[in-house]
Amino acid sequence: MVVSDRPRKSIVIVGGGATGVILAAHLMRRRDDGFRVTLIEKREEVGRGLAYSTTLPSHRLNVIAERMSAYADDPLHFSRWFTAEHPDAIGASQFFAERSEYGRYLSELFAELLSFEASSGRLRRIEAQCTRIQPAGSGLDVQVSDGTSLAAHAVVLATGHVLDGLSELDVATRLDSAEDTPVDSRSRIVVLGTGLSMIDAWLSLRHRGHVGEIVAVSRRGLLPHPHARQRNPIRLDVADIPLGTELSYFVRWFAELIEETERAGGDWRDVIDGIRPFNQQIWRDWPATAKRRFLEHTKAWWDIHRHRIPSGIYAEAEKALAAGDLKLLAAKVVGCRKLDDGSIELSLRRRGAAAVDVLSCSRVYDCSGFVKDVSRTSTEPLHSLFQQGLARTDPLRISLDVTPDCAVVDAAGRPSTKLFAAGPLTRGTFFEVDSVPDIRLQAARLAEIVTR
Amino acid sequence: MLTRKGKYGLKALVHLAHLPPGTLAFVSDIAVSNNIPKKFLDAILGELRNAGFVQSRKGKVGGYRLARPATEIKIGHVIRVLDGPLAPFPCASRTQYQRCDDCDEATCQVRHMMLEVRTAIAAVLDSRSLADMRDATNDDVLLELKQQA
Repeated sequence: MVVSDRPRKSIVIVGGGATGVILAAHLMRRRDDGFRVTLIEKREEVGRGLAYSTTLPSHRLNVIAERMSAYADDPLHFSRWFTAEHPDAIGASQFFAERSEYGRYLSELFAELLSFEASSGRLRRIEAQCTRIQPAGSGLDVQVSDGTSLAAHAVVLATGHVLDGLSELDVATRLDSAEDTPVDSRSRIVVLGTGLSMIDAWLSLRHRGHVGEIVAVSRRGLLPHPHARQRNPIRLDVADIPLGTELSYFVRWFAELIEETERAGGDWRDVIDGIRPFNQQIWRDWPATAKRRFLEHTKAWWDIHRHRIPSGIYAEAEKALAAGDLKLLAAKVVGCRKLDDGSIELSLRRRGAAAVDVLSCSRVYDCSGFVKDVSRTSTEPLHSLFQQGLARTDPLRISLDVTPDCAVVDAAGRPSTKLFAAGPLTRGTFFEVDSVPDIRLQAARLAEIVTR
Repeated sequence: MLTRKGKYGLKALVHLAHLPPGTLAFVSDIAVSNNIPKKFLDAILGELRNAGFVQSRKGKVGGYRLARPATEIKIGHVIRVLDGPLAPFPCASRTQYQRCDDCDEATCQVRHMMLEVRTAIAAVLDSRSLADMRDATNDDVLLELKQQA
């Protein structure tokens, strides 16, 4: 083999969670050797970001195995790995695997790529935190916590969900963070949010042996729906969908489609699943007013239908609700106070009520979803990117502003030719990009874009 | 399938796109200058308002205007609202699908190609905006004028 002397394009991926690993995998699939990829991740093991770092067996994937392959065009990639690991598992493509297993899948996938590419030198990994990214010459200078810096031709930010500044309540704690110290197992705990993260928190607390009451609070107090036994998405085409209309018009169309489907013997899930391939396009074509109204009024409804949980876990949640171990509260937190004994008093106004109730508890966990304003983050490298004007938020402030090609848009509105983003950091543009079926498609596209 | 309703709706929107931003137009003026029956136009503009493409104001200084810049309103989006799914014929639509009595859709080659046509139609109409339609020069007329000169 003739090794070319021409300098190879240096691509840096910041963040080695699911998004970073899947992107690296898609880059390594490309045949040319005109580039090399460096993945920066502070955790020892890659593939274990927010979603897949859990070790709890009851934390399961919310998507069946055959939709969780790292590659959209090889849907059984994960199922094959799983069956090889667990030869006695039956029907391994149709079930909800443990999330820790999925983390191991990603981690082993990356390790395999590293060893496969050892001779080509196309892939390497740095175990550190990226502290700053700044322009340098015709490229970017990526600084890491060990004091070194890398010259990059292209950088992809894959740092995942922005978590700091999630709650306006400074008494709230994040599960498994350093502040998450033990509390009296019989005390009452409040969880902000009633969605998938709340379910995770409830399962974790129960696993820890917490026997006290767990109260989950959100504006509407709605629990995610369970999956049906079978997926049977309706077939839709882009020509059928009323794109670009106001939210009320779209919602009416969608509700009628659900009614029709149910009249014909189908299930609402078939409609939610059938429209999924078009979600990014629907979001993109909505006027700004529709996007804002959706986040404000419709997202809560959408989330519990769209982001469903395995029926076994749903049944357990119902049991806990019936027994009073878990309570759902439709209310708004209007105040909070930390008392001298360490306990917390929350003032809550129930939905539709004028009076304010006071609820005392030993701990408040924040599982409430979207950050209100990403630009207020203090996490690097995002913080300094905003400060240097190299990035700005999307108009809704829920993520970075990126182009349809994932290029980060700077403070003056110019898309970068060197700085890109992937995964949840791009949801202002794509909306649904935080689960593997969407991320793997984005990764495939990005792999093409950044190697150009 | 583009009906008269869809065509009239687009003409009315192009009319509004010619106005300076924020200016309102009377339904009667739009109707007269585009040769559209006024009652029909009332109904069409009502539907376009429900879908969020135009805004209206009642009263003496009332009328219609675009709800968003003409560059942001796509032709395909307007046609779906007025005429339904962008389908060249009934068995090519999924939501407003009508089965043909006289053929088997799985093996019907005509339908198969028409599905491809539908995708192509959507690709064109969803990438053209009202501003593109407004600013398009009418080449036939220009050619004719040139030849006459």
